[in-house]
Order: sequence, then structure tokens, then C-alpha cells
Amino acid sequence: MSRALAFLTRRRGHGGRWHWTDVVTWVWLLGGTVLMFGPALWLVASSFKGPAQLAEFPPTLLPYAQIAVPVAGHDAPLPLYEVTGPDGTTRQLAEIRRIGTNAQMVDPAEPGTRLDVDIAARRPVREVGLALDNYVRPLVANDFLRFLWNSVFVTVTATLITLLTNSMAAFALSKYRFRGRDAVMLLIVATLMVPLSVILVPLYSVVNATGLVDTLWGVILPTVATPTGVFLLRQYMLTIPDELLEAARMDHASEWQIYWRIVLPLAAPALAVLAIFSVVWRWNDFLWPLIVLSRRETYTLQVGLNTYAGELNVQWHYILAMTVVTMIPVVLVFVFLQRFITTGIAGAGIK
Amino acid sequence: MGRIALHDIRKRFGATEIIHGVDLAVEDGELVVFVGPSGCGKSTLLRLIAGLDRPSSGTIEIDGRDVTRLSAAERGLAMVFQSYALYPHMTVRQNLSFGLENTKMARDEVARRIDAAARMLEIAPLLDRRPTQLSGGQRQRVAIGRAIVREPAAFLLDEPLSNLDAELRVTMRAELAQLHARLTTTMIHVTHDQVEAMTLADRIVVLRQGRIEQVATPLDLFNRPANLFVAGFVGAPNMNLLSATARDGRAALPGGLDIPVPRDGPCTIGIRPQHLHPAEPGAPALEGQVTLVEALGTETVLHARTPDGTALTTVVQGQSPLRPGQTLRLTPDPHEIHRFDADGLRMDDPGAAR
Repeated sequence: MSRALAFLTRRRGHGGRWHWTDVVTWVWLLGGTVLMFGPALWLVASSFKGPAQLAEFPPTLLPYAQIAVPVAGHDAPLPLYEVTGPDGTTRQLAEIRRIGTNAQMVDPAEPGTRLDVDIAARRPVREVGLALDNYVRPLVANDFLRFLWNSVFVTVTATLITLLTNSMAAFALSKYRFRGRDAVMLLIVATLMVPLSVILVPLYSVVNATGLVDTLWGVILPTVATPTGVFLLRQYMLTIPDELLEAARMDHASEWQIYWRIVLPLAAPALAVLAIFSVVWRWNDFLWPLIVLSRRETYTLQVGLNTYAGELNVQWHYILAMTVVTMIPVVLVFVFLQRFITTGIAGAGIK
Repeated sequence: MGRIALHDIRKRFGATEIIHGVDLAVEDGELVVFVGPSGCGKSTLLRLIAGLDRPSSGTIEIDGRDVTRLSAAERGLAMVFQSYALYPHMTVRQNLSFGLENTKMARDEVARRIDAAARMLEIAPLLDRRPTQLSGGQRQRVAIGRAIVREPAAFLLDEPLSNLDAELRVTMRAELAQLHARLTTTMIHVTHDQVEAMTLADRIVVLRQGRIEQVATPLDLFNRPANLFVAGFVGAPNMNLLSATARDGRAALPGGLDIPVPRDGPCTIGIRPQHLHPAEPGAPALEGQVTLVEALGTETVLHARTPDGTALTTVVQGQSPLRPGQTLRLTPDPHEIHRFDADGLRMDDPGAAR
């Protein structure tokens, strides 16, 4: 602990004085932290706010919830307000119902007497609390569990197929010498320059002709072959020594076994990187699923989120809550797979 | 059995021919060493035998069977690579068993062979480690073990000792020799190190620029080099080569020396540094000024330069009192003189029957 403190308070200036670079470092790092984490944290905090609080100005940082108290003679707990009387005294009253600009209220201590209060003279009593309904309602009533499942299915399937097909292409392009290999590679890389919006219409025609419109496979299949993936894996596989493959050939391994038992395990770091990319891409995909999917049962999360943004009314509390839900898997993928990015195991048996 | 025969093997990469027609027969149980300077095609030749590359023309036979068109696995050979090429993601045991499992060998037979190889190479305690956790010498043993468990018709070793430090190389060299004595399997060993070749080989194949220069036992190679290249390549320090012109069956060397030569014309006289001895005073001798003294303790290597600028090297036993700048007078052992004609080919001295 004391060492951690010593590390944090270490300065470049002599004798514990502040050098100007110390100041710049702290400002830079703190500013960066706020810039990076601020929006995400605010999103999480706001996702627990009710619709009324979200519409408030100035906005509050933490989510608050109005306190409700049980009152004798009423089935449900009633919301509590702090009412300022005409004489300047304040007391806490529960609201029974609102009529115009007035509210019929009751003192929880004496449930018998009803009071008529101007709504301008009262202020809701709040405490820090979570509007969990933001999460519960979309997930339970609005099919979001279904959307979540669709998204998971699309992401996992597309990523697995991406890894398989791209690694096979990369293996051939990096380890076999054949006529036109470089031309094929160039062609694949060249498709990087074609944006989705250009091929949207022809792609839709193909998907339509194959009867995949409105199915999850229609979302998955057009995306699995990515030039980025082929290029990334090929560059990595070039670093796997040919002698390993030749040793395997002497060891009676078929070309398929060489791919499956030698090249794939050694390309694991690159595969992990591509897996991370693929998961993030497929999970965050919006435009293509929006075009292909029109039945509500086939929506992915991103398309489902879009249903909360109507022409007249945007249900921010649901959008924010479901945005947090959509963020979780991406964060988890990074947490668990990031160590693969930095470790390289190929070449270890060589020299 | 492992008899390997090459017939007129040629290999082209694009327009350049790397191997220009090699004929060679390796007998069963023989340890043959391919030696030559880098780029001479020795590794290419080994890869052709292994089946990793296909010859452009010519045939390869193993035990009389034409294997030219067969794949590497079907030839029944095992190879030890220069970089060892151990599979880094597998344990030593898996490295050894990978090739056997691919042939659908019974489990207990695989275990038996791995145990036998591990005992022979003393790598039993390492079986569950990965190649990264091994030292260079241990990796070398594992790589050899991977070849042994296959029980191949012949072993092909591509500069297996070149990645080891000098001390370990000497130990492993001795172990390789013992291993060959025990296994009595045909081995083809590629190296650029002539000491390795001389100590290991039953027969040495000297290669230069894709051609075989000479095939002979180590001592034959040393005693009767077939041409100037072999003469200069084999033996350390390098042979002294002196240009001369023969007239009337004798070639005159500087200092009044007279060497009998079978044919007249321009020729080269080769004398190994070990066969130059200090001359008697007054007798005809090669004279030079000492330029460098390399004292090795048991022997001393003296470098000298004759007045006409020819470099001479000699080895004298023990420690020499000579210093740079002093004059050295040398005379060759008359029975240890090599004569080469204008084309660099050996001319046999009719007088010296050996």
C-alpha cells in the first residue's frame, strides 16, 4: 500500500517538488480518464433514472427515486412530498391523486384527513435509488430477451464461421505457392476499399434471391468473409516457419492436419484478435440487420433499440438501459481475450 | 535397410539451375556427410532426398524402389532440421508421438518407442515440458528423438549442430557418432564444418556450386584431394598453394626447390602446413618473413610471406621462438606434395606409389 502510494506520488522534480511535466502528466491522464470513462459511467448512471428525471434540467449525476410510503386505507404505497405551508412551515405528505394544479394529499401519520395542496408548493422527497423497471420491462415485456438471444446467436455463429473460413484462406495464401496467389491477395485486400453502402442494394438482391431475407442467416452469411481478417491472419501465418510444416509433412500429417493441428494452434494470438474484432463488429452491426430483418422475432439488440426511438416520442430510459445491456458482452470479450493479443507463442520452438 | 541412390539429379528454380546432375550411391548403414561452402546446394540436395522438394529431372531410389514421385511421408525417411522445427505448442511427448499417431499406430507401440528413444537420448525427465522450456542441447536431442521413434530407413540431418555453442557441439558430435554406431541406420548429414565432416563421416561428399567435387573417406580426402577446391577446403589451416610452371618433368619453386611433376605446363603445387618443416642450413628452401605467430600451446601456426608475395602457412609442434619479421626457411616433405594441373585436377606423381 505504502509502495503504491510512493509510486503515485513520485515526481520528476527534486525533493518532492512539482516539475511542470508532473502537472502536465496528471492533467493529461486525469483528463483522459474522464474523457474515456465519463460517458460510459454517465450512461450506466442514467440508465437507472426514471423518464421524469431524465427530462430534468439541470441534469443530475446520480439516479434518484421518489420515496413512497404505505398509508392506511390505500392499497399501494403513496409517493411522498415535502409541502411548504402558507405560514412557511414544511411537512411531509403523501399524494393520493392530482386534480389540475392541485393535489389531494394525506399525512401518513393521520390517514383520516385529506388536504388540498397547490402542486407549486411541494417538492418530491427523493433518495438515491435505482429505477430497475428500465431493465425489467424491456427484458420481460418487450422481447428484449429474444433480441438478446438473436444477437448472441448472430455474433457467435458469425465469429466462428469468420475464424474458420478466414484462417483457411489465410493458410492457403501464406503457405502455398500457386499461380495468381498475389493477385488473389490483392483482390481480397482491394475489397477493403468498398464500403457497405455501395454494395447494399446488390447484396440485398442476393440475400433476397437466396430466400434469406428476414432470417438470422441473412445477417450472418454476407458478413463472414472479411478482407481484414484474411489479411491479419495471413500476415501472422507468414511468421510461422515453413520448417514446422515440413517437419509435419515428414511426420505423415495430411495438409488438413497441418492446418488444424499445427497452423491453427500457432495462430491463436491472431485468431483471438480477429475474434475480438468480429464479435465487436457483429454485435454492433446496425444497418445491415435493419435492412434484412423486418419481423420483430428476428430483431437483434441494435435493431430492437431502434424501436424505442419513435417519430414523436423517444423512450430514453429504455434506450439507455438496453444500451448498457448491449455494452456488457463487448466489455467482457475485451477483458477475457486481451491477454491473447500480447502473447505470441509461434517461433518459440525455433532457436 | 536404407540404400539411397541418386541418378543425374538436377534442380532448377526458375531459370537458374542449382544442382547440375548429381550421381551418388549411399550404402545401407553408411554415415555420409555432405560438406561444402554455403550456397553449394548441399541442403537442397538433402531436401530433394527427403521429398520436400521435387527434382527437375533425374531419379531417386531407396532400396531399389523409385521414390522420385513419392511424397515426403511415403519415403520412410526422417529428418532433423537445422532449427529443430519442434512444434512449440506441444509437449516433448506430443512432439515425439505426432508422427506415429498420424500413421494410426497402436497406442502401446507408440508409448514403447517413445520410452526407448527417451532412454537412449536421456530426455525422459523432459517428456512433459514444452520446447520453450528446454535448452539448445535438449531441443537438439528431442529433434533427434522425433526422428528415431519413426524407425526410418535413413536419417537426414540438416546442419543439426550449427545452432549449438562450440562446447556443446563437440559433445553432440560424439553422441551422434555413438548413436549411429548403435542404430546402424543410414545417415546423411549436411554441414559446412569440415571438422564435423572429418570426425563423423564414413564417406564425405564435397559439393561446390551444385556439383560433386569428390566422394571419399575422410582420410582419402585429406591424403589425395581430387582437385584444387577439395585440397583448399579440407584440412586446417588451409593448404599452401604455389603456382609454378613445369618444364622437363620438374617444377621450380622459389628458393631453388625442384618438384618432380608428371606433365609439363602451368601447374599448382600444394603442400599442407603440417608437411612443411624447417630446412637444413644451406639446403634449398622456401624463404619468407614471418608475419603472424599464432601460439596454441601444443603447436604454433606461423604465417609468412615469400619475397615474391606468396603467403605461406606452417604448423610447428610445441612453442616457437620465432617473432614477426624474422626469416623462416622451410622445406616440404617430399612424399606429401600434391600436384594439380592447369585445370585444377590432381596429377599423380608416378614416382610416389601409395
